[in-house]
Amino acid sequence: MSLTKVTNIDALELEDGVQNAAFQEDEDRSRHEPAVVSVTGQEEVAYTQIKPYAGMPKEVLMLYSKQACYRVPREILFWLIIVCTLVLIAVTIAIVALSPRCLSWWQVSPVYQVYPRSFKDSNADGVGDLKGIKEKLSHFDYLNIKAIWISPFYKSPMRDFGYDVEDFRQIDPLFGTMQDFDDLLASMHDKGLKLIMDYIPNHTSDKHLWFQLSRNGIEPYKDYYIWVNCTEDKPPNNWVSVFGNSSWEYDEMRKQCYFHQFLKEQPDLNFRNPLVIQEMTDIIHFWLKKGVDGFRMDAVKHMLEAKHLRNEPQVDPDQDPSTVDTEFELFHDYTYSQPGLHEILTNWRVEMDIYSREPGRHRFMVMESYDYEEIEKTMRYYGTSYATESDFPFNFYLMYLPDALSGNRAKELVDVWMKNMPEGKWPNWVVGNHDKPRIGTSAGREYLRAINMMLLTLPGTPTTYYGEEIGMVNVNVSVIQDPFGKFNPNNSRDPQRTPMQWSDKLNAGFSDNETATWLDIAPDYDTVNVEAQQADSNSIISQYRTLSLLRGAELALSRGWFCYVRSDANVFAYLREMDGKQKAFLVVLNFGEDTVTDLSSVSELPDVLTVDLSTTPIIQKTFSKSRIPTSKGQGLLLQYSTDKRFHSNHASECYVSEKACYFSALDILYKC
Amino acid sequence: MITKSGGEYPYLMEGFGPVLAYLYSWTTVIVLKPSGFAIIALSCAEYASTPFYPGCTPPQVITKCLAAACILIITVVNCLSVKLAFRVQNFFTAAKLLIIFVIVVSGIVLLAQGNTQNFEDSFTGASTSFGAIGLAFYNGLWAYDGWNQLNFITEELKNPYRNLPLAIIIGIPLVTVCYILVNIAYFSVMTPVELLQSPAVAVTFGDRVLYPLSWVVPLFVVFSTFGAANGSCFTAGRLTYAAGREGHVVRILSYISVKHLTPAPALMFNGILSIIYIIPGDINTLINFFSFAKWFFYGLTCAALIVMRFTRKELHRPVKIPIIIPIVVVIVSCYLVLAPIIDKPEIEYLYCTVFIVGGLLLYVPFIHFKFNWTRHIMRPLTMHLQLLLEVVPPEKIK
Repeated sequence: MSLTKVTNIDALELEDGVQNAAFQEDEDRSRHEPAVVSVTGQEEVAYTQIKPYAGMPKEVLMLYSKQACYRVPREILFWLIIVCTLVLIAVTIAIVALSPRCLSWWQVSPVYQVYPRSFKDSNADGVGDLKGIKEKLSHFDYLNIKAIWISPFYKSPMRDFGYDVEDFRQIDPLFGTMQDFDDLLASMHDKGLKLIMDYIPNHTSDKHLWFQLSRNGIEPYKDYYIWVNCTEDKPPNNWVSVFGNSSWEYDEMRKQCYFHQFLKEQPDLNFRNPLVIQEMTDIIHFWLKKGVDGFRMDAVKHMLEAKHLRNEPQVDPDQDPSTVDTEFELFHDYTYSQPGLHEILTNWRVEMDIYSREPGRHRFMVMESYDYEEIEKTMRYYGTSYATESDFPFNFYLMYLPDALSGNRAKELVDVWMKNMPEGKWPNWVVGNHDKPRIGTSAGREYLRAINMMLLTLPGTPTTYYGEEIGMVNVNVSVIQDPFGKFNPNNSRDPQRTPMQWSDKLNAGFSDNETATWLDIAPDYDTVNVEAQQADSNSIISQYRTLSLLRGAELALSRGWFCYVRSDANVFAYLREMDGKQKAFLVVLNFGEDTVTDLSSVSELPDVLTVDLSTTPIIQKTFSKSRIPTSKGQGLLLQYSTDKRFHSNHASECYVSEKACYFSALDILYKC
Repeated sequence: MITKSGGEYPYLMEGFGPVLAYLYSWTTVIVLKPSGFAIIALSCAEYASTPFYPGCTPPQVITKCLAAACILIITVVNCLSVKLAFRVQNFFTAAKLLIIFVIVVSGIVLLAQGNTQNFEDSFTGASTSFGAIGLAFYNGLWAYDGWNQLNFITEELKNPYRNLPLAIIIGIPLVTVCYILVNIAYFSVMTPVELLQSPAVAVTFGDRVLYPLSWVVPLFVVFSTFGAANGSCFTAGRLTYAAGREGHVVRILSYISVKHLTPAPALMFNGILSIIYIIPGDINTLINFFSFAKWFFYGLTCAALIVMRFTRKELHRPVKIPIIIPIVVVIVSCYLVLAPIIDKPEIEYLYCTVFIVGGLLLYVPFIHFKFNWTRHIMRPLTMHLQLLLEVVPPEKIK
């Protein structure tokens, strides 16, 4: 069948050449049948005439195709295609070679701190849990947040709400089961979210098996903790714990003192013992194997203590040594940031890097260390030129903003970090966590929006403590739960740990428990809640979301230059720009009283600036740079377009982590 | 049953007549084949460039430049020599089998070392709903799509009656076995959850098992996609050629290069369309909507088989298959065409249908009625192109 058909077609091909260069349809065959007779005749003519025609066979074609007018273009076309291919490959290689490193997930997204007790309760026991967090994952989608740090949920007797770990490989039943954790991690990864866990190397709970074996002197656990000979009434030296009183506790069973930098239920691990380092490294592996994306390393500066056990010098030498019982009365020369600490941390980083090899699976490491005036100690956690350490240590300095709230103060605190940070490193910003009063209370609610705007427009990674996105403030709880607060009510951390306010329903939508939640719900929950604010485009959460989306979408905000423009008693103003991009941003934050700012002296700014976002509703859509009015606590994100770059003339006022320029024609970044 | 090149086309032609066959070649020649080629080239480019951008997506320019280069290289190779194209294909297929071999062997080693924890309760949490099974079929069949490619080159097979079934009989079980073995290897280092969440399972496997040689996996994946692109180009050329021969697209597309004995015009046409398809921003999504068209034609082809069982009883059938198979395929195709549309009706399906039916707009004036003026344009154009490219109409099959 097929053969006959092919023959027909080929006959047609010839006929086609003479009579029909275009299209032929099978059913037309009969119509053309009479012509076939003439075909043979014409065919001969065609050969003798030697004129090319459409559908000519090889013999005819070869007579003409060698002509220069066909051969030359043919050759040219062929070589052109080859050259094109080579050029395309060369262009690709050039772009790859010129591309700057791309931002990792922890640089692209803000870090959101979830305090699991207070985030969402799924089983109506009044305390939040892992299943609850899973229920609320869409909240992070809404806020365009990809990195979630969950405060500890290890098995724990809860003397320090999870920071006293009884078993590093189990989930506390209060928060759920290991299955719940696996489910949470899987659904987070499904949504492209990253989970950062708390990792608590300094101490365990006194209920931890290691401690129980250690106090009984059983090898190899005997030296897992720091044991020193002492008597019941006389500690070995004057060292005091962070939570107050001596950091030595006499143990009846072992007839020795053990050392604890926090509660006496939190004995310090002995990191001079290689077995302890190995145990703790194994725990890192355990969670990384499960797929955890990073660790927030708790209280790392406390990990090592001087072996000589000398008394620490008093801040006030004249003070009666017997009254020294709080952290700030001593210089902690022998208990904080001891030599050897960074070797341990660097080795952990090496272990984590093994798991970071898969593309897009960088395992993140962030340090918690309050070093106050000694900022160089904090900066050391960035690592050195020869050994990488954490991706960044938390920057807690913005927490001092409320002490003397003003534009100048804001600039000063931002500059503390920017000036001390090693070159090429990535900054970060924190204004609140479970240990510090909420910024909305310490700075005042009216400044909350401006502070959020600052976090999300400064260069680097902002950290958002749950509730900051809706403007939660401290709550005066009726019953103190925090052990630190029980020691001294002024130190209670409960006010900043109250349940998340989801809606205006029972318990602010946090829990279905009829009687009570573990801490009181804030009285303002009927207006300050996620549901109500999502419906309002001028709410804090809507503004947070807009800024977060903008931060992800605009190169100038995510990895561009950061330059100080102005700071005075009221206003802190800075700009974000990117080489090769016309669009740039000016941020004007009011941390004082109503004022009008005149930036006409900044020649790089164009005369007219367009409002991108104002934290307080304003009618004006554009401002002249000589008259930018801001009211108390207002944040203004202004957009402008110019070819002039501010940073090229003000190198000392500007910072960038890694230089990159934008090439708009190809929509690429390149090293410059 | 039909030994001509061109995949489903001859079946549709015999079974349902020229209009449907025309619509098939119209959709396939203009959209399905070149876009398929473009997509494979794009994924090859993406695989080749991602290792240089750990943690983020490479800029579009790079993937597009590389994809274009890939299309050009493959098209040139295919135009120059069938033999060379075959060698390229063999080399890259061998590379693909080699990496599969490496993965399987390292998987077996790991299993021998006792990494079997992921095989306990393998089916816990498996869902058994009707829709899920349909989806599983869809994805499963996609993996075996290769069987269909042979149909496009039937004429170029030596002794097709023997070799075509042989290729399928060897090919499908080979693919099946490799597929299963590779997945077993994956499970030796990954939990089912990790497997599902890995953006590129083989790469993850390489990172975990083959380090510090983990770079071989992405490299061989690039090889594999390049080979697939070559195969796609090869078959696309044949289909376009067949359609041109039937007069359903301009005839010059069916011409053969005098020097190289390749369907050069068809290949070039396909290559040019493919390059056009990689230029716009996100072609993938739109192209995905055309996949329902693909299954529509698969179904029709099998329906044609059934029809011909009754209308063309006299035909010689070198390979005879039980009638139940085409019936099943028709039913499955109906399901696969209708399910996504009913499940998530979107306006794009309508656009695709309009585009396919829109082919008739060209069919009526150019093919059915053949207006005179079209010849005046096409004839000199064909002639000059013929001379430029040194192509002639195919000769008789001896």
